[in-house]
Amino acid sequence: MTPTTLALTTLVAPASAALVLAVVPGLRSRGWPAAALCILASVVSLGAALGVLSGCLADPTPSVLAVPWLRTSSVTVAEIGVRVDGVVASMLSVVTLVALSVQVFSLGYMHDEPRPAFGRYFAYHALFLLSMDVLVVAPNLLQLFAGWELVGVTSYLLIGFYYRKPSAARAAVKAFWVTKFADMGFLAGLLTLFVASGSFGWDAHLAPGTATVVTLLLFFAVVGKSAQFPLHVWLPDAMEGPTPVSALLHAATMVAAGVFLVVRADPLFAQAEATRTVMLVLGAATALFAALLALVQTDIKKVLAYSTCSQLGYMVAALGAGSMIGGFFHLTTHAFFKALLFLAAGSAIHAVHSNEIGDMGGLARRMPVTGGAFVVGALALAGVPGFSGFFSKDLVLEAVEGKLASLPWAALLATAFLTAFYMGRVVVVAFFGAPTGEKAERAHEPGWSMRGPLVVLGVLAAGGGVFAAPFAHLYGREYHFEMGVGPSLAAALAIGGFGAAYLVFGRAKGAPLPAPLALVDRVAKTSIVNRVYEVGYRRVALALADGLAWIDRYIVDGLINLLGYGTLEAGARARAVQTGLAPDYVLAAMLGVAGLAVWAVLR
Amino acid sequence: MSLASCLLLAAALFCVGLYGLLARRQIVAILLSIELMANAANLVFVAFGHYRGGALGQVFAVFSIALTVAEVAVGLALAMLLYRRHGDSRVELASEMKR
Repeated sequence: MTPTTLALTTLVAPASAALVLAVVPGLRSRGWPAAALCILASVVSLGAALGVLSGCLADPTPSVLAVPWLRTSSVTVAEIGVRVDGVVASMLSVVTLVALSVQVFSLGYMHDEPRPAFGRYFAYHALFLLSMDVLVVAPNLLQLFAGWELVGVTSYLLIGFYYRKPSAARAAVKAFWVTKFADMGFLAGLLTLFVASGSFGWDAHLAPGTATVVTLLLFFAVVGKSAQFPLHVWLPDAMEGPTPVSALLHAATMVAAGVFLVVRADPLFAQAEATRTVMLVLGAATALFAALLALVQTDIKKVLAYSTCSQLGYMVAALGAGSMIGGFFHLTTHAFFKALLFLAAGSAIHAVHSNEIGDMGGLARRMPVTGGAFVVGALALAGVPGFSGFFSKDLVLEAVEGKLASLPWAALLATAFLTAFYMGRVVVVAFFGAPTGEKAERAHEPGWSMRGPLVVLGVLAAGGGVFAAPFAHLYGREYHFEMGVGPSLAAALAIGGFGAAYLVFGRAKGAPLPAPLALVDRVAKTSIVNRVYEVGYRRVALALADGLAWIDRYIVDGLINLLGYGTLEAGARARAVQTGLAPDYVLAAMLGVAGLAVWAVLR
Repeated sequence: MSLASCLLLAAALFCVGLYGLLARRQIVAILLSIELMANAANLVFVAFGHYRGGALGQVFAVFSIALTVAEVAVGLALAMLLYRRHGDSRVELASEMKR
């Protein structure tokens, strides 16, 4: 099969599964058939994606299979179809692989759900995989936008999966609104691009000013989807969804769609140096800011959520520094180790029935596979030498070094230390030490459906660094690694962070936070960004809405009502003509005849 | 007698009928007025028939008289119903559809 046919298969398989689950009654309500169908589709997709990848490694020339879409009489506005190149091949493999792992993991994790909910869960997963694949293989930005919105919808559905829980329903709505708000930028950017270049392709040559406008608008959507400051507020709330969902959508794939968009539209971003500077600054700031917030979270999923924001900041900063490969390779390794971390956290939550790291403790002894997986994930995330995160983080730091007086570089290095510190904290508090409660003591390893994905992702998170060279080859670049000053510094900071975490949290459990952390905690608890949005919403958006409502009610509706009232009044007046008296009608008829007669004579 | 004087007579008859139709309130009087107007028309038929020659005018006049009789029969029936209902047969009583 040609690469494009294989890529098409990755769309058709989940599409068929989602369609069958949507229309055939009984499959969802019984649960297991839905899971089997969804996982089968994912296996087929993964196979096809790996086929695409091997094809691309052998011959990286892009190929496109597309049909015209939105045809007017004279021009074809866009095409719909699949495009295969290095970016697509690697992203597709990552997405399908993580999706399959998460779905298999969910078999165990969601096992206690009622059957209909279990079936619904897997139907959503099939839909998500389809949406993500539509986004990834898009041959132009319009189809990418369609996929982008589709993943937004599935994200909404999955965050609100426990829809009876008010907090989950609210979180789903919040995530949808915030990302939707940002998506306005995507739409505006697309339209500007179309007006300027006459197509939705990403290889248009634009005037410098137009390029800056288009890329800034696109980047606004990226800020929303990839949870960058100040639109990151939805991501921590999105942790209300089931943990495997957090692993797949809100860590590994969907939030990375923003980064993917920048990678995809690289030729456009390359024409706008100003946008790249904004990205560099915002990415580095988000990385540092989110890492600080992650320090003081006590909910294991919230730690990972802020960590995701922080790592996405790394990717955005790398892309802002012009290193497509740095941002994209970090996306890939991050997908593996963050999915791993979330699944391991899910396994721990499943065992302890609590998200609080204070309720865990000593889990590594009782759950060796989970504990081992989490530690591997933490080491990879912190960028300890040898693990995948080290190599990708090194590419990012190398790209950023020396830009803007090295300030972003310094921020990212500080983030690297903080990352190791907060991950060290979770590892030390939750997985080592003594069990803090009855539940933690009775914790035990889950079944193989949950352990299997942990092992697979653990291997990838640990050894992902070996993909760096073939990855670079996909883009026609060379990759070579040198243990210079930068990598040594990063490695030292990572190891130092773990050491510091052990020193602070390893000895005295339950001791009060050290003074600097307590300060961060107090700032984090004020949740200043959320406050700003609340005030903005109440004071500005609602006031504006009230004003518009007044205009609508009294001016727009008023005009219409006036028209209706006038008609009624005129009718009431005209009614008087109809007296109901026969002589009056006769008179009218006679006058009419007389009038006609006069007209006939005078004509 | 010339055709013009016949037509003038018919017009006068018609106008008298029309006046009655508009001015009277009793249904029977209105029916009489309508009868006058119909007979004005009949007169025109007969007059034109006479001056044109042939029997066509007369045939039409006879036909019209028959129609008028039928119409008067319906009208009188209505007048009687109105009288039974209201104890009077003024035409303004027949405006129930309006209310």
